[in-house]
Amino acid sequence: MAGRKLNKHWKGILLFLLPVIVLYGLFFVYPLGFVFTVSLTKWNGVSAMKFIGFKNFIDNFGNQNFQLAVRNNFLWAFALGVVQITLAATVAMILARRPKGWRVLRTVYFLPNVISKVAIAMLWLAIYNAEFGALNAFLDMIGLSGWTHNWLGEIETALPAVMFQEVVYIGYFMIIILAGTMSVPESYYEAAQIDGANVWQQERYITIPMIRSILVTAMTLAVAFGLRHFEATFLMTNGGPANSTTVMGLILYKALAALDYGHANATGATLIIVGAIIIAAIRRFLSSRDAVAESKQ
Amino acid sequence: MPGRELTLTDIIAKTAKWLILVFFLIMTFVPIVWLIISSFKTNLELQTDPFSLPAVWQFQNYVDAIQVSGLPRLFVNSIIVSSLSTVLNVIITSMAAFAFSREKFRFQNTMLNMILAGVLVPIIALMVPYFKIITGVGLYDRLWGLVITYAAINLPISLFLIYGFMRTIPKELEEASIIDGCSFQQRFSRVVLPLSKLGLVTAGTFVFLFSWNEFIYALLLTSSMRARTLQLGIRFFKSQFITNYTSMYAAITLAIIPSIAVYIFFHERIIKGLTSGALKG
Repeated sequence: MAGRKLNKHWKGILLFLLPVIVLYGLFFVYPLGFVFTVSLTKWNGVSAMKFIGFKNFIDNFGNQNFQLAVRNNFLWAFALGVVQITLAATVAMILARRPKGWRVLRTVYFLPNVISKVAIAMLWLAIYNAEFGALNAFLDMIGLSGWTHNWLGEIETALPAVMFQEVVYIGYFMIIILAGTMSVPESYYEAAQIDGANVWQQERYITIPMIRSILVTAMTLAVAFGLRHFEATFLMTNGGPANSTTVMGLILYKALAALDYGHANATGATLIIVGAIIIAAIRRFLSSRDAVAESKQ
Repeated sequence: MPGRELTLTDIIAKTAKWLILVFFLIMTFVPIVWLIISSFKTNLELQTDPFSLPAVWQFQNYVDAIQVSGLPRLFVNSIIVSSLSTVLNVIITSMAAFAFSREKFRFQNTMLNMILAGVLVPIIALMVPYFKIITGVGLYDRLWGLVITYAAINLPISLFLIYGFMRTIPKELEEASIIDGCSFQQRFSRVVLPLSKLGLVTAGTFVFLFSWNEFIYALLLTSSMRARTLQLGIRFFKSQFITNYTSMYAAITLAIIPSIAVYIFFHERIIKGLTSGALKG
């Protein structure tokens, strides 16, 4: 670009960009460099940093808690990226056919998403409570006392219980997918009906291919949320019982609290790298057929 | 569907449809309604009649809730943090969005794409550096520490929204103002900014909701009531109320109500914002 003239407002432009550049440098560029650098050291934040190569990563992956955390993060990514997206897409497709009261339902389903995850977690803590909780009380009432559990205190039920209270609130993804579904031209469905296609066939062969890119976007977001999961687990189980619900975010937080910055940042770096790989894989794998379809047009 | 009889598939589809819709309706309302009703009971009633209405409505629970939890202070802190981070974020991103959308300069696309790529960074992975930065500048356990952090975290999403909006404003409007003798800054403040109101409101809503609901960095960057926000305060209800469950439920109810109230008034705008964002992305 040699010889290109400097924009005559360059001073103004620089002035207008400066705050964003400074904040972005301070809160994105520098921290990312920091995480990857410190992940290769032994450091407690006070004494001198000691370079130890990939030892923190090797330690982490050899540690049973960390392995559990990685497994749980993948389960979370599945619970949100596959289960929740499927539920959200199903409801979106139902509402897109504009049944009676669909506008009200759309508004109502989104309601829990404006309440903070923390408050929702506290609400479910009350429901799952072994002695005073609504769930056990309800099971007792309908004569299923044998099904009662200390939901958050037993290894078999704790993780599903924490996941359920997040997966069931589909509002956010439902709204996004609904917007896509409603933009499919009505005439496509009319033509299919004339050809005798039933509801399933219409959704399978018209809606899903038409909203593919929105589904991929929603799924990418949901998987990212699953890998970053923290709040509900921190509040409801703090990783217990017996570390069965722990996640990478929690391990990072605990390592930080213990001033073990090397392992904390190695965990952070793992989170960033795993997230980037999975998201790239989803987009490549699921979007590839799009590209094929486009090239045929 | 005139002229078509209902097949078995249609009947199954119809039943499944209503079962699904009703299930999510129950999951949305029943837990919250149960919590609110329970918050008016005595603890004994909660245990013996968990699903009945309270015999006597215990408004005292709410008095206790406010006294024990320090809710008023938490609210004030949350409002300060959310408002200031929103204003700070929207001011600086709208300036950058103006430069990016109305001018041509070197490294423009590289810079823009790099900042926008920030939405992909899992912010939770940056706990240690954020902690170090905020303690380093002396803002640990200060509201300003949270304000700056929240404003910064939301730069990419906010720039995406405001830049996307400003790009659609016709250049002709500005050309007229240049002829009238408007400077670079005046084009921003008098022409583009007023026309971008809707974009600014959408971005502002996002930043405000994020800041209002944020938990992880409120946990990491504060240690006392001085800078404790509502979401972090909720965490302490467990230890503050111990076994006084119904008063704790009252405190949770009080913490949830404002979000629901705001949603009742603004749901159309919030859903519209989400919908248009989805179609652009």
